[in-house]
Amino acid sequence: MKYSDIIRRALRNLLSSKTRTLLTAFAIAVGTFALTLTIGASNGAQNYAQNIVKQNFDPSELLVSKDTNLFSRQDASKPQVYDPSFGSITTFGGTQRQVKMLSDQDITKLSGISGVASAQPSLNISLSYLTREGQSKYIATLATYNSYQSPELLAGTLPNKLADNTIILPEGFLSVMGFSNAKAAIGKTVKLAVQNQATPTSNISAMKSPANNSPHEYDFKIIAVSKTPNTVISAETALYLYSNLHSVETLNDYITLNTKNYHQYLIARVKVIDGTNTSKLSAAEVLIKNQGYSVQSVVDTEKTITQFISVIEGIVTIFGLIAIIASVFGVVNTMYISVLQRTREIGLMKALGMHRKDISRLFRIEAGLIGILGGIIGSALAIIAGTLLNPFISDKLGLGDSKLLIFKSGEIGLLILVLGLVAIIAGLLPARKAAHLDPIEALRTE
Amino acid sequence: MIEVLNLTKIYGKKENQFKALEKIDLKIPDNSIVSIIGKSGSGKSTLMHIMSGLDRPSSGSVHINGTDIFEMKEKKIDAFRASEMSFVFQSFFVEANATCYQNVVLPLEIAKVSRNKRKRLATEALEAVGLAEKINSKASTLSGGQKQRLAVARAIVNKPKILFADEPTGNLDSVTGDKIMKLLFDLNKKLGCTIILVTHDEDLTKHTQMRITLKDGKIESIHESGIKS
Repeated sequence: MKYSDIIRRALRNLLSSKTRTLLTAFAIAVGTFALTLTIGASNGAQNYAQNIVKQNFDPSELLVSKDTNLFSRQDASKPQVYDPSFGSITTFGGTQRQVKMLSDQDITKLSGISGVASAQPSLNISLSYLTREGQSKYIATLATYNSYQSPELLAGTLPNKLADNTIILPEGFLSVMGFSNAKAAIGKTVKLAVQNQATPTSNISAMKSPANNSPHEYDFKIIAVSKTPNTVISAETALYLYSNLHSVETLNDYITLNTKNYHQYLIARVKVIDGTNTSKLSAAEVLIKNQGYSVQSVVDTEKTITQFISVIEGIVTIFGLIAIIASVFGVVNTMYISVLQRTREIGLMKALGMHRKDISRLFRIEAGLIGILGGIIGSALAIIAGTLLNPFISDKLGLGDSKLLIFKSGEIGLLILVLGLVAIIAGLLPARKAAHLDPIEALRTE
Repeated sequence: MIEVLNLTKIYGKKENQFKALEKIDLKIPDNSIVSIIGKSGSGKSTLMHIMSGLDRPSSGSVHINGTDIFEMKEKKIDAFRASEMSFVFQSFFVEANATCYQNVVLPLEIAKVSRNKRKRLATEALEAVGLAEKINSKASTLSGGQKQRLAVARAIVNKPKILFADEPTGNLDSVTGDKIMKLLFDLNKKLGCTIILVTHDEDLTKHTQMRITLKDGKIESIHESGIKS
């Protein structure tokens, strides 16, 4: 029998028992629904992570720290030897944690490593406040601007290199700084205040005296106003002020003067020559690691972001697979019943000279078609549900314009094909039973 | 020419042995109408199954036009059945949910006949049994006699050399049954195929050229009427 004839016959058989076919297919559709959503969410998460990384990290850059526990905390439970280069940072829990800091020598050393284009400290400093003549004071963070960020601007222009004491003001500060619109802010001056953190150890009363330690205000000229980005790591980065490295360092020096943290940096940003080429990037990564530093690349950052999502995905995937395995038994059952019901038809086909292999094939194809039908129903429902839910989910999770569920036709097609194959495997035993049916028994009339 | 040589079929083993057929020797000439008659359990169905290659004998052989069919591989017997033989059964065995056309083309699909040729052959076969206008009707809408005619159309569609009819009138009233028998006799003349009629009804055997009577697995008598076409 020709393949096309077998397929047509299989289709006709499935159509002649529509309810049974649909019910069996629905069982498969349940698992497919879960799997399609999981795949969609996985795409969405990856896409989201990539967007974040693209907007916030230079792909040709490596983040380097001296402390091996900073990026991976596997050794944190073991006692650590004291090192005079330890600085301290405040962790989320509020406790002070000792970490090894990078010095200026380290930065120079990093710059000298072959393949490295430049190394500079990564500086984000907490300002005491941001203000402007006649306006209230607001807390703010000043970060170093890197040209790859290319934020969307509401007004102003960005030169290749920011001049000293110029800043990019985020949209969010416009009205509180008393500007009616973005254009009005260009060229105006705002004040960035920082406070020295040195503790006069000999005189505790001096510490309490505000006169000795009042915030120092620096004037910065606004050269551009950035639009609030659609994709952000956390809400607060939307309010970061950006200036060039030299200006940030100046303020940082003021803050850290006479403290242990003076010219000590937690993280350095190392730009790699041709770093977008992953092999060059990892080559530099190895060289830096050999010098005893801890390194994190963009890929690692992306992984960190997607890790949490992956766990949830794994769980949903397992449930989806369980549903599909359960539905496979449904296919086996349906096909067995079908073989029993069609005993005579099988006997007749055998009597008319249909080969065993063709009979087996007929039942395998019927099973496979049920699988494909279930796959199509399940993935179609998932796509409909996903498309309807996407705006709602993005809104609730604060993803901005990013979609949580992204469906790719290739992946879904592949999933449906795999389901067809799984169903064919499920149909193997019933098909075997049909093929080995004794035609004489099958045709016995009484 | 169908030659059956020293055919024996034994079911079961040792003490439980049951001889369904014992030392059957037969020669059936081409284009003849032969009836195999006997009570139930006489072995007539077993003989038909073995002659058509559906069952295997315990010993002995069946030669069709000089070829020992049990020397062939299973796939070849299947192909042989698909092109040279066909069947009409007591219970029709038509697919109720399929149309008459779809029922009739089954043997052609199995024999891998091209689609264009199928259409022509199926129409011819349905015309031959008087069901031409029912070509696109569902088999479930047919009466019993029409269903058996449909089964006959399916049996002749691939122009077989041998047509086995197993109690073809068993589920029909006598008037309809006679019509089916007349149809089969006409087809024998028109198409020139050998018809082997298996029945327990003596009336049906009256007009056959050769009547083989089986009893307890043995040939009791072979009666040749001599009317050869």
